[in-house]
Amino acid sequence: MRVIHAARAATRYLSWIGLATLAALVLSACATRGNDHPTSPGTPALLPGQVVTEQGRQAADLYLPIFLLAVAIFILVEGLLIIVAVRFRRKRGDDALPGQRHGNNVLEVLWTAIPALVVGILFVVSTGVLLKVDAIAPNPAVTVDVTGFQWQWTFDYHDQGLSFTGAGKDGPEMVVPVHETIDIRLHSDDVIHSFYVPQFFRKLDVVPGRINEFQVNVEQEGTYGGQCAEFCGLSHSDMYFTVRAVDRATFDQWVIDEQAKAAQTPAPPPSGAPAAATISLSASNNLAFDQATLTAPADQPLTIKFANMDPANPHNVSIKGALADGKDWIGLPITKPGQDAVYEAPALKAGVYTYYCSVHANMTGTLTVQ
Amino acid sequence: MTTPVDGITAGHGSETDSGHGAKGMDIALMGMLLFIASEIMFFAALFGVYFNVRSSAAVWPPEGTEFVSWQGSGLFGLGLSVLITIILVSSSFTMQWATDQIRKGNRTGMNRGLAVTLGLGILFLCLMMTEYYLYVTVDDFGVNSGVYGSLFYVMTGFHGAHVLGGIIGIAVVLARGMRGQFSSEHHVAVEAVHYYWHFVDVVWVFLFLTIYVLR
Amino acid sequence: MATTALPQARSYRRAAAYDWITTVDHKKIGIMYVISSFFFFLVGGVLALVIRTELAAPGLQFVSEQTYNSIFGLHAVNMIFLFVMPMLTGLGNYIVPLQVGAADMAFPRVNALSLWVFLAGGLLIESSFLFGGAPVGWTMYAPLSTHVPETGVNLLVLGLIMTGISSILGSINFLVTIFRLRAPGMSLLRMPMFCWTQLVTSVLLLFSIPVVTAGLIMIFIDRNYGGGFFEPALGGNPILWQHVFWFFGHPEVYILILPAFGIVSEIIPVFSRKPLFGYKAFVVATASIGALGFTVWAHHMFTTGAVYLPFFAFFTFLIAVPTGVKFFNWLATMWGGKLTFDTPMLYACGFIALFLIGGLDGAFLAVVPFDFMVQDTYWVVSHIHYVLVAGSVFAIMAALFYWFPKMTGRKLDERLGKVQFWVLFIGTNLAFFPQHLLGLDGMIRRIADYSANAGWSELNFLSSVGAFVIAFAILIFLWNVFSTLRSPANAPDDPWDANTLEWATTSPPPVYNFDHLPPIRSERPVFDLKHPGTGHAPAAASLAVTEGPVQ
Repeated sequence: MRVIHAARAATRYLSWIGLATLAALVLSACATRGNDHPTSPGTPALLPGQVVTEQGRQAADLYLPIFLLAVAIFILVEGLLIIVAVRFRRKRGDDALPGQRHGNNVLEVLWTAIPALVVGILFVVSTGVLLKVDAIAPNPAVTVDVTGFQWQWTFDYHDQGLSFTGAGKDGPEMVVPVHETIDIRLHSDDVIHSFYVPQFFRKLDVVPGRINEFQVNVEQEGTYGGQCAEFCGLSHSDMYFTVRAVDRATFDQWVIDEQAKAAQTPAPPPSGAPAAATISLSASNNLAFDQATLTAPADQPLTIKFANMDPANPHNVSIKGALADGKDWIGLPITKPGQDAVYEAPALKAGVYTYYCSVHANMTGTLTVQ
Repeated sequence: MTTPVDGITAGHGSETDSGHGAKGMDIALMGMLLFIASEIMFFAALFGVYFNVRSSAAVWPPEGTEFVSWQGSGLFGLGLSVLITIILVSSSFTMQWATDQIRKGNRTGMNRGLAVTLGLGILFLCLMMTEYYLYVTVDDFGVNSGVYGSLFYVMTGFHGAHVLGGIIGIAVVLARGMRGQFSSEHHVAVEAVHYYWHFVDVVWVFLFLTIYVLR
Repeated sequence: MATTALPQARSYRRAAAYDWITTVDHKKIGIMYVISSFFFFLVGGVLALVIRTELAAPGLQFVSEQTYNSIFGLHAVNMIFLFVMPMLTGLGNYIVPLQVGAADMAFPRVNALSLWVFLAGGLLIESSFLFGGAPVGWTMYAPLSTHVPETGVNLLVLGLIMTGISSILGSINFLVTIFRLRAPGMSLLRMPMFCWTQLVTSVLLLFSIPVVTAGLIMIFIDRNYGGGFFEPALGGNPILWQHVFWFFGHPEVYILILPAFGIVSEIIPVFSRKPLFGYKAFVVATASIGALGFTVWAHHMFTTGAVYLPFFAFFTFLIAVPTGVKFFNWLATMWGGKLTFDTPMLYACGFIALFLIGGLDGAFLAVVPFDFMVQDTYWVVSHIHYVLVAGSVFAIMAALFYWFPKMTGRKLDERLGKVQFWVLFIGTNLAFFPQHLLGLDGMIRRIADYSANAGWSELNFLSSVGAFVIAFAILIFLWNVFSTLRSPANAPDDPWDANTLEWATTSPPPVYNFDHLPPIRSERPVFDLKHPGTGHAPAAASLAVTEGPVQ
């Protein structure tokens, strides 16, 4: 008997916890924001965070009215459910049947027509915003051709003759002027990726065989994080980039500086520093390096010339435990099939190291340094 | 298996045929028609892909694939595809005739009709495979010859697989017919197979018009 | 109306294992579907726990990226193709023939074939883990899925083709059973709502599975034979795969939820002691959802830049209307009733309370400019899991508690059931509500790891705790099942005082299902029998009672 009472009490207790959790979660959504990571400058909440483009702002402005409508519907339906559950609970010993109503056509018409009207309005309003968000204006101020490939980005400014490629945690940086129309064209070299900047409130897929295009007018200077948003294989979660919006003058100066850097010949290594030793390495097939063992001199920076002759897979060369803090040295960029790369690895103390491909963990070899 | 309800016998599931309640289609026949509906959707997907690729291709059909057409170096200046279309369409007529025979109770006629249909069906498959062989050896045209090659072989190949299924069905009802089964009252299997065979034929007509004529 | 369970003739008795493996009895087949799908549910659940354990804190702690990338896809495949679909098929298999007053399904041997093909396909799919995994997601987008070298992807594709064949055969069976084997007096508009939803679901399967099968064949050919369907260099188009897949994929989600709607529509009238309010409206709404389900597929592709957005947005908005109609009708059924909250009813009400959230999420997603922000983020993950866990899983739990006594002759323990419900309710909200916030903040999905200073760590941790709470609820359920199965099988024919024909026979029914059927004058023949003169039932005197006392 006591067990039954305890079980009933536990159930009642749990049911209150359940409803309270739901309420708490909903309320917690109205938290304030205050973080500073580029992709998410704020604490997540049930309202959008910072939105910095004109198009994104127009889209994000739709959110609040729809959210309030959703809350109203939520309160209505849950409220009805709770009222019904409480008011029409069967009383103990009451075996009489309630009134057996089968339906009501007026109600059916009402609760079909009113929601239809509501969604109709939502459709019209959202399509209006869509047309603005998707509009392509002629004569953009800056055009950037973005190429996504496993697992990096290339930003080509053809008009300015600049190109930036990068991968990993920060990826390449796209610098754009504020308050001007930026045209972004998306190309893929391999699989489907997606160009996503949360603070633009926008993403667009990067599809091989297709060029997708959209435009933004950035309204606020700042640095905004971006990430590939379509699952694209092994390092999908690491395919980042940033967009930095600056005033026109800064942008123009940046272009000049970058053009100068690109034109420069590489500086000769400072005399006195040990000359780099060169190792050659390649990979052709079967997800393996063509060389299983390599040797290198100790205490000399290494230049690794890597030829990816694999017709289908990206590869790179990384060395376990090669950095001063014991972490792995990762060779970047990861080469595409058929591409070559020259990596500059740090000097290593004498010993035996494992080199490997970051993409294919079982693709290893032994590097003897002496 | 009957379940008494107020003394009335409920619709029964299995007797000599698959079950034919007081009114309504035999359940095996209904099952076959629903199966055909699902197969129509399968081919519809393939046709959808074909037309989609075709509409967005700069050049279609691609260069060097002129040999896939209804004109050709076959019979009287017409391609092999025309011949096999005539064969398959004829087989639908013989199949229909066979079915009409058994509806009238003429099992011998049905058997003859089924045998001819079977022969025509097998001939269709042999000629189709000959066409494949020629394309692969002479024209170096395979499933890996671009999306056009992939589409050609998947569409006609899966059709061929369905023809094979139909041939097996015809062979089974022919064997049963030759053993003296089927009468004017009870020949559901023949009806079912004949529906399936017409479906296979109609799909071929669409394939022929799309791939070989419209191109 | 007690049914006499006749003793089996001596020559009929066979060894239990042989009997079950060779059976063509829809009840045994149904139970085998239920048990095997529950096994796959556990597999999918363990995979989910691995995912949530890895995501609980930033940093890759437990699995490599390679492993993670196979796990999230196989989690979805297990849950969708190997759990929800066969579970609903199994429940339908057991219940639909009983509810329409038939002795079995229309094609019992094809029924058995469907079961074994499904199991073979399921094993093939699971074996992909042994062959490199399948790091392509359940959506298998090309060209990623056609490029990755892992053999596991081939096994996944072949396994899905097999489970698809199983579903097509099953649909044909359900449709012919429903159209041709209903007992006299049961017009289509007197058929239980669960059968209606199985009808529409079967139509959806019949028309959508062949399309994805065609697509899977194309993927297989691109992967293994140099095909060019989705390869731009060969003239193909990757977007085409998405069209083919989602043309199936969208009806698929209605396949996963319509039978759940049907289950809720069975349970609420029973535990409110009132008929389903607006039966005809339910029929029209179900058919509308089925039809509209074929017009909205590209709303999964809004960000591809390759679809005509307003068309798909319009129909996506429209499909909310019939779903809303159902909600209001369920509430109206309960209004003015006399409600008891046994576990099936708790789950049905929990379904209404929480599927609503998933549905509202979906309405947001129909707003294309908003979709541009949250597509491929945790907002979508939250939507999916509200409709599938708070939706399908809750309904499945309701159904299992409701029909367990009919299937096994034993009622599951009510106290454990209620505790389980609240634990699952809490766990579901804890696991999935925070994901709205994560998605709105830009956390994308299908990532093994996220940045430590993105501000996402706390919500991810909360979500992971919720996942383990859900797991605990499932353990409670398993404990309930195992301990109940050890208790004596003495449930009555009609333990819930219910309405439909399955309650007019013993628990469990004899092999041939019914000795007698009550007269069928409405969608509640058993109710009418118990309450002559109420509602549709004519006064007792006009019933031709042939033999035996009324129950």
